[in-house]
Amino acid sequence: MHKFPFNTVLIANRGEIAARIIKTLRKLGLRSAIAYHEADALSPAVSMADLAIPISGRSPIASYLDIAQIIGAARKASAGALHPGYGLLSENAEFARAVIKAGITFIGPAPEIIDLMGDKIRARNFVQRNGFPVAPCAIEEDDPATFVSRATAVGVPLLVKPSGGGGGKGMRIVRDLNTLEAAIEQARSEARRYFGDSRLYVERYVELQRHIEVQVLGDAFGNLIHLFERECSVQRRFQKIIEETPSPALSPELRTRICEAAVGIARAAQYQNAGTVEFILSEDEFYFLEMNTRLQVEHPVTEMITGVDLIAEQVYAAAGRELALSQSDIASNGHAIELRLYAEAPERGYVPTTGNVLLLEYPDGVRIDSGIMQGQRITPAFDPMLAKIIVHAPTRAEAALKAHRAVRELVLLGCETNASLLARILADEAFLGGQFHTGYLEENPHLAAGNFATGLSAFLACAALLTGPVRASANAVPELHAALGSWRN
Amino acid sequence: MHHSFEIDGVDHRLWLSNSQQGYRLHLRDQVITPVAFTYHSESSGILTIAGESEPVRFAIEGELIHLHIRGRARILRYIDPLRTLAPANDGTRPLIARAPMPGVVVATTVSPGQSVSAGMALMTIESMKLETIIRSPQDGIVDRVHVKEGESFEHDAVLVTLSKEGR
Amino acid sequence: MQRIGSVADVNSQAFRRNDLHNRQLAAELKERQRAARFHRPERDFERLRRQNKLFVRERVEALLDPETPFLELSTLAANKAYDGEVPGAAQVVGIGIVAGREVIVHADDASVKSGAWYPLSVKKIVRALDIAIENRLPMVHLCDCAGGFLPLQAEFFADRYHAGRILRNQSILSKMGVPQVAIVMGHCTAAGAYVPALSEYNIMVEGTGAIFLGGPPVVKAATGEQVSAEDLGGALMHTSVSGTSDYFARSEMHAIAIARDVVARFHQPAKPWIDRVAPEPPAYSASELYGIIPKDARAQFDMREIIARLVDGSRFHEYQPRYGTSLVCGFAQLYGYQVGILANNGVLFSDSSLKGAHFIQLCDKNRTPLLFLQNVTGFMVGREYERGGITKDGAKLIMAVSGASVPKFTIVCNSSHGAGTYAMSGRAFDPRFVFSWPNSQISAMGADQAAGVLTHVKARQLARVDGRLSEQELAAIREPILEQYRERSSAYYATSELWDDGILDPVDTRTALAIALSASLNAPADTPQYGVFRL
Repeated sequence: MHKFPFNTVLIANRGEIAARIIKTLRKLGLRSAIAYHEADALSPAVSMADLAIPISGRSPIASYLDIAQIIGAARKASAGALHPGYGLLSENAEFARAVIKAGITFIGPAPEIIDLMGDKIRARNFVQRNGFPVAPCAIEEDDPATFVSRATAVGVPLLVKPSGGGGGKGMRIVRDLNTLEAAIEQARSEARRYFGDSRLYVERYVELQRHIEVQVLGDAFGNLIHLFERECSVQRRFQKIIEETPSPALSPELRTRICEAAVGIARAAQYQNAGTVEFILSEDEFYFLEMNTRLQVEHPVTEMITGVDLIAEQVYAAAGRELALSQSDIASNGHAIELRLYAEAPERGYVPTTGNVLLLEYPDGVRIDSGIMQGQRITPAFDPMLAKIIVHAPTRAEAALKAHRAVRELVLLGCETNASLLARILADEAFLGGQFHTGYLEENPHLAAGNFATGLSAFLACAALLTGPVRASANAVPELHAALGSWRN
Repeated sequence: MHHSFEIDGVDHRLWLSNSQQGYRLHLRDQVITPVAFTYHSESSGILTIAGESEPVRFAIEGELIHLHIRGRARILRYIDPLRTLAPANDGTRPLIARAPMPGVVVATTVSPGQSVSAGMALMTIESMKLETIIRSPQDGIVDRVHVKEGESFEHDAVLVTLSKEGR
Repeated sequence: MQRIGSVADVNSQAFRRNDLHNRQLAAELKERQRAARFHRPERDFERLRRQNKLFVRERVEALLDPETPFLELSTLAANKAYDGEVPGAAQVVGIGIVAGREVIVHADDASVKSGAWYPLSVKKIVRALDIAIENRLPMVHLCDCAGGFLPLQAEFFADRYHAGRILRNQSILSKMGVPQVAIVMGHCTAAGAYVPALSEYNIMVEGTGAIFLGGPPVVKAATGEQVSAEDLGGALMHTSVSGTSDYFARSEMHAIAIARDVVARFHQPAKPWIDRVAPEPPAYSASELYGIIPKDARAQFDMREIIARLVDGSRFHEYQPRYGTSLVCGFAQLYGYQVGILANNGVLFSDSSLKGAHFIQLCDKNRTPLLFLQNVTGFMVGREYERGGITKDGAKLIMAVSGASVPKFTIVCNSSHGAGTYAMSGRAFDPRFVFSWPNSQISAMGADQAAGVLTHVKARQLARVDGRLSEQELAAIREPILEQYRERSSAYYATSELWDDGILDPVDTRTALAIALSASLNAPADTPQYGVFRL
């Protein structure tokens, strides 16, 4: 007896998440197929998949965004379902519709929900209408002519955001109203490029805010549960770096309020499949930020503390099965932290780095969701996230210690990464005390800068000893003269 | 003439010499004796430095030495004096606009044959979610645009070459 | 081998008096050397900067391997000549390590008279090439010379050991298979043009380096042709058109990097003919030499006290300790190399001469290099000694010194006079290196005796006219003679004239000898062969 109405799932994604999806599909007894661009030919997901179908395009990223090619690949693989992962086409309603139209099950919510939540302004209005808190804002399309003056009226600090996007792309903080118009123009250009949609809105920016999100899970039978929150406040330029659960910022009472708000919002939207409701938290007030209608990068921390395989739940929900878990089945056990390993140099303003993965050794005793393999080339063509390290321990302090040890043990040579920044954060008092907010890294630039001199002589010694010409010039000197040193008469 | 290694854009002079106990490392402001490296495999070994042993993971890629010591990875570049002391600036080569960081070309605003003045925008690139404008380093004529819109490039890649007027 | 038991009393008044005196002499030496190396009018440094040139000392330091020794030779050449205006004879010469190879470096010092060659410059360069030939040392020339100093051309142009000898020696060195590298860092004109041309390898620095037989003014005068230095003989032309130069360098440092890479290609000769054991420092501190060398040059002292502060473990195997005691002979090790030492403990007699001649032959047959420590006023004179054949026995010693085929090294520790200078391997006997101590005196006769003789002669001439001279008149004649004689027998005069290879602070002697000894071993030792000993 087969559990699913499909037996092959096409993964319309790449990197660590594609590999992660394959692992669950295997567990569920499903075949995995992946559409891949040549630049990813040496990646783990391509070697793990049962079937790999090459796609091409103007650029690597364009290939993964080419709906017709992806659907063609799904057909070629005889895939009955498609998992979009996160990013790329995962929140593109048009794509979801095309998948469904092709007779393939889309592993995710209905296109209408994607549409609703994908349009940040509609989503915001929807949430407000249903009685949940949102931040003060000004929406351009309400009256484009007065947009700037309405934005000014919201007051600084404020955040300029694209209506059609997410993931921090195209967002700009304005603290001085004189720079508002320039920020609007830049955000517009980026929004048009990233999302093909230049509409903007501004929102009051909450200083010292924390980013709290709640994982929800729904099915076609109206069941809707939450799997607790995740705290994602350690960020650089709106990009999450470290996520954890439970959040050290929530009291049990506040946790209940925020999780119930998330469930309420999802229920109002008749949400099916896995989703995440994001909030801004300031002291004990929270505002709805947005809802992501897909799996999140940081989903593993939730899996660690709840024991739920979120991808399996996504597949079940998409297959039309009733959610086997009720809210009371979900318990939070211990503490989990996820570290994102990026190909970037925090010490040099987070510039993206590239290179060949010459040596890759992951630490033992922790979960690694990796998108890279030894021998692979890291190019600037994709998102710089390489892998995630996920630790689980009874307490937050133990989890932080374990994470610190793991990130120091991790060896990735050939491409600079943010590993030493992660190690510095995990040893920082503010982080260990749970006292941080989304401006934490900007307020503590020493964390990104690091201490250049630390251990420098060991590196120089090692490099000298490993470099042929350096050793050769030492060995060429006759013993007598080496013993005499730099003697002068 | 010392050996030199570059780390994050900074040159570090050093010299290794033989002593009865092994190698001596001479840095600008200190001498460390003895230093030694024992290979365990083609990518691992033990560094002995001033009486302490440190496990090391390493990878060598041309002049780049990638090292992981005490939980920290660093890339050191061996500076070959024969190469670095021969600067390319001999006035006869074309002028070049290089990529300040890896990224993707968003838009090209000039085409070959077009004359440009110093500071004029040549192309817009995108990196780290931010757009950066690549400007002409000098007056000249656009000789070639090396990277097309949508294409990615690495740090220091040649983006646009210019030629001097009348050449 | 037995350790020498020093009897020097470091707390005695004499020791402390000597110590103070000799430390002052050492300090004076260091100061004079420092001035000769670095004191230049600011305008000369300014000119170098304007010309985009490094100071010669920076060039040499960049050329050498870091953390290796450099034995600089004849630092104070010309210190008593040309009114002291040509420090070091405008040349830097020394033995150092380049890419692990022992080489001799010769560098023109363009901060002095634009590097022009004076007579003593030529003598210093010829000597450097002689050292290269005798020891088979590869040579690096750093050329930056404006040409010969014409007003003095008669003293450096035409004779056998004048400037032509530089080119001849370069050619001989090449014939012997010992390579040279030249870096052209300035103009190489006329004879100077041949220095890079005769080197196996040469490198030219763009912009500053030029090679031509006649510079632009000479060309203009000769043919009326107007041409720039760069066009006439610049780096680009010579490396791409004439083939006179091999490598084009964009800067001096680039050129030096190329030169180091060239030297790294040289074959490194083995030194198989001599044994070496693990070195050991002397049991006595070298700084005690200051208290042992007497303040008064005429005071006698035991050379074993010197040997004890030069050789490994202060161990000395003395040969014939009971015979010919005015010449101490024996074996010792210096930085692990065995040497045979001949050291004066007084005037040379027949027995000491015979002992010395015999010991030299023992060392030669045993392939043991010879070290002469001079403190000699000469051979004994007098009826009894002539009858005993002192001249015949002295001739045996001179024959042995001349004929020895192992390397010889000479240190003028104190006095060096008369035939003793010769018999103890003076400059004329081709020791590989001669070094002096700052207190030393070298002359045909001791200053007092010589002044006595000269005063006597002068007094006789004057007396023929005026009758007897008073004591005062005699003193008036004697003093200037003595003064000039002392001046001309001083270590500074000797080194100015390149009678030695430099003055050493006594405490540096052991290291300097080790470097010299190691350098000498690059040449194979010939089979021992002697002339006729008068028996």
